[in-house]
Amino acid sequence: MRVVGQGEMHVEVFEADIAIVGAGGAGLRAAIAAAETDPVLKIALISKVYPMRSHTVAAEGGSAGVVQAHDSLDHHFNDTVGGGDWLCEQDVVEYFVAQCTEEMVQLEHWGCPWSRKPDGHINVRAFGGMKIERTWFAADKTGFHMLHTLFQTSIKYPSIQRFDEFFCVDLVVEDGRVQGVVVLETATGQFTLIKAKSVIIATGGAGRVFRENTNGGIVTGDGMAMAYRHGVPLRDMEFVQYHPTCMPGTGLLFTEACRGEGGLLLNKDGYRYLQDYGLGPAEDKPRNKAMELGPRDRLSQAFWYEQQKGRTIEGPHGSVVHLDLRHLGEAYLRERLPQIYELAEEFLGVDPAHTPIPVRPAVHYTMGGILVDGNCAAPLAGLYAAGECSSVGIHGANRLGSNSLAELCVFGKVAGIEAAKFAKAVAPGNTASLLKKAADSQRQAEQLVTRSNGTERIATLRKEMAQTMEDGCGIYRLGDTMQATCNKIDELKQRFKNVNVEDKSSVWNTDWLLAIELGYQLDVAQAMAYSAINRKESRGAHQRLDGFEARDDVNFLKHSQAHYAGDGAPRIDYGEVKITKSRPGTRAYGAAGEKAEQERKQASHV
Amino acid sequence: MELQARRQNRKESRPAMSEIEKTIPIEVLRYRPEQDTEPVLQTFQVPFTDDMSVLQGLQYIKDYLDGSLSFRWSCRMAICGSCGMMVNGKPSLSCKTFLRDYYPGGLRIEALAHFPIERDLVIVMDDFIEKLESIKPYIIPKTPRALSEGEYLQTPEERDVYEQFSSCINCMLCYAACPQYGLNSKFVGPGIMALLHRYNMDSRDGGTEQRMELVHSEDGVFNCTAVGYCSEVCPKHVDPANAVNINKTESAKDYFLRFVAPKGAAK
Amino acid sequence: MKPRAIGKRRPYVRPMAGWWRRNPFFVEYMIHEGTAFFVAAYALVLLVGVVRLAQGEAAWNGWLQALHSPVAIAFHLLVLVAMVYHSWTWFNIMPRTLPPIFVAGKRLSATAITSGGLAATAFASAVLLLVVWRLST
Repeated sequence: MRVVGQGEMHVEVFEADIAIVGAGGAGLRAAIAAAETDPVLKIALISKVYPMRSHTVAAEGGSAGVVQAHDSLDHHFNDTVGGGDWLCEQDVVEYFVAQCTEEMVQLEHWGCPWSRKPDGHINVRAFGGMKIERTWFAADKTGFHMLHTLFQTSIKYPSIQRFDEFFCVDLVVEDGRVQGVVVLETATGQFTLIKAKSVIIATGGAGRVFRENTNGGIVTGDGMAMAYRHGVPLRDMEFVQYHPTCMPGTGLLFTEACRGEGGLLLNKDGYRYLQDYGLGPAEDKPRNKAMELGPRDRLSQAFWYEQQKGRTIEGPHGSVVHLDLRHLGEAYLRERLPQIYELAEEFLGVDPAHTPIPVRPAVHYTMGGILVDGNCAAPLAGLYAAGECSSVGIHGANRLGSNSLAELCVFGKVAGIEAAKFAKAVAPGNTASLLKKAADSQRQAEQLVTRSNGTERIATLRKEMAQTMEDGCGIYRLGDTMQATCNKIDELKQRFKNVNVEDKSSVWNTDWLLAIELGYQLDVAQAMAYSAINRKESRGAHQRLDGFEARDDVNFLKHSQAHYAGDGAPRIDYGEVKITKSRPGTRAYGAAGEKAEQERKQASHV
Repeated sequence: MELQARRQNRKESRPAMSEIEKTIPIEVLRYRPEQDTEPVLQTFQVPFTDDMSVLQGLQYIKDYLDGSLSFRWSCRMAICGSCGMMVNGKPSLSCKTFLRDYYPGGLRIEALAHFPIERDLVIVMDDFIEKLESIKPYIIPKTPRALSEGEYLQTPEERDVYEQFSSCINCMLCYAACPQYGLNSKFVGPGIMALLHRYNMDSRDGGTEQRMELVHSEDGVFNCTAVGYCSEVCPKHVDPANAVNINKTESAKDYFLRFVAPKGAAK
Repeated sequence: MKPRAIGKRRPYVRPMAGWWRRNPFFVEYMIHEGTAFFVAAYALVLLVGVVRLAQGEAAWNGWLQALHSPVAIAFHLLVLVAMVYHSWTWFNIMPRTLPPIFVAGKRLSATAITSGGLAATAFASAVLLLVVWRLST
């Protein structure tokens, strides 16, 4: 058998104006925006999977956009900033909330089958941490419908040239700006240099660095790692969201919409335990921003305490609580939550109309990501990022459910327009010297396969990484376990150098791709662990129990920024948080939250 | 020496055997184009628990028994459409097919039928994608509307008319279930017809006429002989056979109306 | 989508020969299609009867006589079985071929369509039997 890439280098060249890496919600929206900005621009849309496989597809509950007369952009702003424990870029949030609704309408015009009210207008549902119902939904398959709508709409634009099942191995940076990407065609194992004047990264999150998670197998932080390796800081990486209602074992998601539609959380005594954690009062139907409609970080933390108190239920995959939907009735559940119904029936053998669903928290979302400004521009010229891989600054220390689907659209569009502007302003790079860089990247990637003395098994390294991340960077964190995680990741990075790719072939060599992904994951995991141990306070999804239980606005109302340092530990520094109109206050929910809001209102009237 | 180290490694990282008592034989159709002239079956003994999916069985093989096995997968929850395979001859999503249902006899996994095999369980799906791109799968507005005018009004009843057909996850199980597609891959096929029908039935869309050409054509709906297995295997209850057969009626109507009304007038 | 390069790819196309034996569903489908032959055959028998009737009483009686032979009776039983199978499978597939039918705002279920069709067949057959029985006595 011939080994790939032995002997001469062969890199094909494709000339584009804009290269977009990732064809999920954000990548597709960016591609459409760029195509509409100027149809002459040639857009290369690269994805390691066919676009409709992207993980946007698994989003269930809905997407935010203010529509009701008694709602306002200010409410959405306040929910988002408060929900993020004030670690948000407030000017960016303000822009975001102002654009959400138009983007949702745009999707409607493109055919998204939003659920409707009897009068034909779109319907909205309640969501955790949102004061007023503003979550647009398409049953409980919102992400699926948004993704397919965007993908199918993108076919209208001839200037979008898709590279489906092309795996991105590196960015090409020269003269201080990004000038293209190097991709590997999964079907052939051949490399192509895609020359581009600007590059948008839209590769999604990195939830698979944790053990129990809601994410698809492809969510491996590729884009984050690529940008990071080229010196772009990863911001706020310690903030990893645990979704409170996931399937034990697999981590599959039971959407927050279950609670938005009236679902209840019960402990082993059938007691709505959330009322013991400052989320009460417990009323029959949870009011917004209270009890089951509290934010995700608080709900996952409450689960942790219940577990400590021995009030959870023991199952084959660890402790669980019950998500009770029985009172909603089969007909309503089939209409509003059809996918949830099927998941419970098929994967757990539970009929949710008659039996509560066992659930536990699992890793769901990376709030942090590639540092970008409000224009989605990274500190590296020509580089843009949008969606979960980016940190544009709207989620802060905890994302509210239904803000991420809206983010894909709002900032996907911004990234597309800005990257188009940039591409039109700069001259094309020198192909010969870019090719040299591309050949280096190719050599780097191929060396994983050509080397024959590796002894470390990919799956072993991956599992050890996922376990240590769960141990050290879970719902509650301690200094010494975080240190152990940092050490472990350092060790795994060393061992990775000795990784063994069993498969030496060229066509559809997934062993090879898994190894490259593992390399990405280890870098991202390291940024997370070191950012976490350095944040000596508790905020949003980052909660410590080792003397730093309180929020510390004096020292840590700051964005962490992890800088890549090769083999060594990342360098962590801090950036300012943009505060425009919401001063950091007490983050409270339930009755306490309403009281706090009253007081804030009165204070501002004085 | 190296092999020994590797074995050692495998042992350590596998789940403790005390937790897993049962094993099941999984036969996998392998095809490595760089070494095999044709597909061959390979059997693996896989330890399993009752909640393990067929996909998890394959992942076990890849992680601990043979890293060279290739297959597509991602979401694990039957929505991304990646992991369609033949399980004991039936087109199935491996993520929502469970090993316990094949114990103790075991199961045979093959790449989706009727598509060329790229490698192992990975099929070449370019044909499907080209068809998807060819049917104008987007709203061609009946009445253009500015964003500032807000959303189109569409009642829940109007939405229900096409919603089922919009639920297709492009997993292509229906193609693996369609012998007519297997015999003539030019046939546009069930899933793509369902998508076409989805747009034709959308109250916001006015593009039906542009899409009907393909419906009438030689590669269109009349290739279907109503086997009906496509709808049987659909994991999302899209009922593509229904879309195809409704369009046979539509196509026939169009054909006869052409004799009554001058060309272009019929709708 | 960018067309795929060839490289070391060698996509393998599996043969279709014998496809209908691979799956019980396809076997059933082929039997269903096969039973259509019996429907046609019976139509032919009736057609012969009409021709014989036109040829006069003797011819007609001869035809009737022929129908009483054990072979003809066996053939009729076979046709009956085939027809029942054909109707059964035909009504099973029928819901897939019809546009959605709404009754009082609710979509008619597949089971309702199939059982409706089967009931209609049973009813029509019963009426026909009754009429024939009345006429012959």
